Amino acid sequence: MPVSLGYIVQRLFLTLIVVLGVVTIVFIATRIIPAHPEFLWAGPHATEEQLRKAREELRLDEPIIVQYVYYLKSLLQGDLGVSWRTRNPVLKDIISALPGTLELAITGFAIGIALGLPLGLLAALNYGGFIDKIVRTSTIAGSAIPIFWAALIFQLVLAIKLGLLPGGHRIDPSLAIVTGFKPITGFYTLDTLLIGRLDLFIDVVKRLIMPSLIVAIYPMSLTARMTRSLALESLQEDFVRNLRSWGVSDSTIIRRYVLKFIIPPLVASLGLSFGYTLVGAFLVEVIFAWNGLGMYIVMAILSYDYPAIIGGIMIVAIFYTLINAFVDILHAHIDPRVRL
Amino acid sequence: MTAPWKSLLHFIPYLKSDVLGLFGLTVIAAFILVGITAPYIVPYPEDAWGSTYNVERRLQPPSRSHIFGTDEYGRDVFSRVVLASRFSLIIAVSVVTLSLIIGILVGLIAGYWGGPLATTLMRVTDMFLAFPSLLLAIAFASILGRGLFNLIIALTIAWWPWYARLVYVQVNSVKNMPYVEAARVSGLSSTTILVKYILPNSLTPATIQAFLDMGGAVLEAAALSFVGVGVKPPTPEWGLMISEGWHLIGTAWWVSLFPGLALFFTVLGFNLLGDAFREYSNPKTRRLLESRGVKL
Repeated sequence: MPVSLGYIVQRLFLTLIVVLGVVTIVFIATRIIPAHPEFLWAGPHATEEQLRKAREELRLDEPIIVQYVYYLKSLLQGDLGVSWRTRNPVLKDIISALPGTLELAITGFAIGIALGLPLGLLAALNYGGFIDKIVRTSTIAGSAIPIFWAALIFQLVLAIKLGLLPGGHRIDPSLAIVTGFKPITGFYTLDTLLIGRLDLFIDVVKRLIMPSLIVAIYPMSLTARMTRSLALESLQEDFVRNLRSWGVSDSTIIRRYVLKFIIPPLVASLGLSFGYTLVGAFLVEVIFAWNGLGMYIVMAILSYDYPAIIGGIMIVAIFYTLINAFVDILHAHIDPRVRL
Repeated sequence: MTAPWKSLLHFIPYLKSDVLGLFGLTVIAAFILVGITAPYIVPYPEDAWGSTYNVERRLQPPSRSHIFGTDEYGRDVFSRVVLASRFSLIIAVSVVTLSLIIGILVGLIAGYWGGPLATTLMRVTDMFLAFPSLLLAIAFASILGRGLFNLIIALTIAWWPWYARLVYVQVNSVKNMPYVEAARVSGLSSTTILVKYILPNSLTPATIQAFLDMGGAVLEAAALSFVGVGVKPPTPEWGLMISEGWHLIGTAWWVSLFPGLALFFTVLGFNLLGDAFREYSNPKTRRLLESRGVKL
């Protein structure tokens, strides 16, 4: 049953309000809490002249409400300030870093779901048994692992000690220079195929394996756990018992009935977890020198580059809000019981 | 009032049938105990606090005198890992308690009185929930600057909305219960009703949740310290220690490995106990457990 246009409009309006809230929280954090916002804006080594310019730019001599209006106006024009580490407009930096993060997060997310779903079903069918215990323990362990530490240990064992996979970077830096590789879409797997360089493509995929497996740990644990408990619930329904007494096989019951039952709620909670996968990917990027938004934000933190830190976080929050809205609409589309 | 607390009382005996949950409880108990006694039990107290620099024993691999090896400053990694549990405990308890207090206030006010005030409060809560919590904490921590206190504040800002929502939902479901109706009809003031009937019944789920969330708080605090907006060096903190060993990973893996293991097992303890509790309190799985002869 398709969702009504009214629902979509209503949901999008709510999203707009939340986005406004997000930018307002950022405004409070950066302009009202600090005693001297211009120091944040101009950087730690700013000259007297630069500070004066920053004060003017932020209109700090005017009332807060006027500052707020100008702040919203510049955001609408896509002006997030200038990163003084890279000397680029922050928005431009973010746009060029985003594909790297998305490539990693989407690959990890897909791997996580592809592994987690069958594991969860298997555990539910063996409820209380050995396989169930293994799956349950490993999914709990999976959500307890500090992702940045896991990345470091993977790197140590697989790249440094065993030399199985490259230990960092999205593409071999020297190969990229020799071949004059220039990103087109920013998704390197796609770009290398677009220019028809199979050798580069293989290099890019090899470099993607390890970080995306680590990013996959969290969505995999979550998918397996959710699937397990949802499948357990539906396996106790009367209709399942009836089907079983009719001699219908477990695999048919799962395929034809249980999956239908568990997919809508699974979509809802997995959609929400994409945001967390994204943040997890940030921490993995740092370890693997992966050119993405997470590395951009952490580099900015290390050099006190506030326009970049705040701009980066704000864009991610807005992105996250949009994903949530999309997931809600999708959920309403596949599960007609959902009402706002 | 009692139903939730009573179920909590039965939870401990239930753990005997749940090995993983029992393991979790043991780890948590050890974490709390070590956190409290750490300064008195570490073999190298000065190294643990981080004030020393012992050139002659820099980056030694694990040995009998330094079972986790030594770090770049020649400090005993084991002592630092042990003492770090105290900082993690302080951070986790403070963040969770502060968040819970704010969450209870907001959730209670919004849930009980309703009206435009409730709508506003819950909208504000939703706006905070629009950020992935780690990112919101990073944003505030980077503005407030490094340090234990600022780290706690930043994490609290990111965490309270979860409890506000939980308490709000709970209050809403409790406030129309027959016994609350009865109290209202019998003429009790709304403050009395709130304090005597609604508060206790709405608090239990949030409090249990908060206790189990301490693992998450430890993990997030470590992540913040890892990216450089958490505690200041030389504070022994697991996330910070992992980041200090990061550039040495190829030559001195022990500097990062052991703090990470400690962090992992602590969070695992809380998650295992949390999972056992969910399994125990979910009526659907309970039926299954009972049918398998597990006493509840």
